[in-house]
Amino acid sequence: MRTETLDRSRGGMWPWLGQRVTAVVIIVTIMVHLVLTHFVAIGELSFDNIGERLASTAVLVNDLLLLVAVVYHALNGIRMVALDWGLTGSGLRRGFDAVLWIAGIVAVAYGTWALWVWVS
Amino acid sequence: MSAKERETANVGSGLWKGIGMWAWILFRISGLVLAVYLFVHIWVISQGRVSGAETLDDFFAFFDKPFLVFLDSVLVAAVLYHALNGVRILLMDVGIGIHRHKAVFWVCMLVAALAVWGFAYKAIPLIF
Repeated sequence: MRTETLDRSRGGMWPWLGQRVTAVVIIVTIMVHLVLTHFVAIGELSFDNIGERLASTAVLVNDLLLLVAVVYHALNGIRMVALDWGLTGSGLRRGFDAVLWIAGIVAVAYGTWALWVWVS
Repeated sequence: MSAKERETANVGSGLWKGIGMWAWILFRISGLVLAVYLFVHIWVISQGRVSGAETLDDFFAFFDKPFLVFLDSVLVAAVLYHALNGVRILLMDVGIGIHRHKAVFWVCMLVAALAVWGFAYKAIPLIF
């Protein structure tokens, strides 16, 4: 591994690993999600149709895993773009990281809350 | 060769040209588009809880247009391109295909194209 790739100013080791771990989780869960919504149920999407799918615990767990992994992956990807485009200085980087963490936690909490209309 | 020389040598004659460059540019563009879509998607689906079933069904009725179904297929294509180019990157990370990255790229694109065709097959009757 090239050390410059893992240097903190270029991203750091944990975000690098996190991006790859979430990539593998997303590939599996997004295929389930896409096949069910964009293939099996294409043209039939509705509030009730979503409810029928989420009544299955396996589908619910799949979608929740996908939500967590894809929000991390998207925001970490935006962070990589920002670093490439010249977000320099450890203070600025830490501030941006904090904003992304808050945005990610809010997005996952909001998404889970929204899905619960079909669970409870 | 120093680290600095090695890095600039890479940029000049190795990675930053040809198919690898276009794969990277498209990877980044698709990633940014999907990141934006993700948050719009969370917001739209959350309307089922925020405003109720009728509002969400109104959204689905609005999306039920040939052009928007076509855009949905473009979205699926963006996901599959990003996923399969990502598989190529993961393979390179574990040391597979570094010296044959063009061949691995085209195999990945073939898999992506077949999958997109599978989804488009179901979407085409709703587009035309």
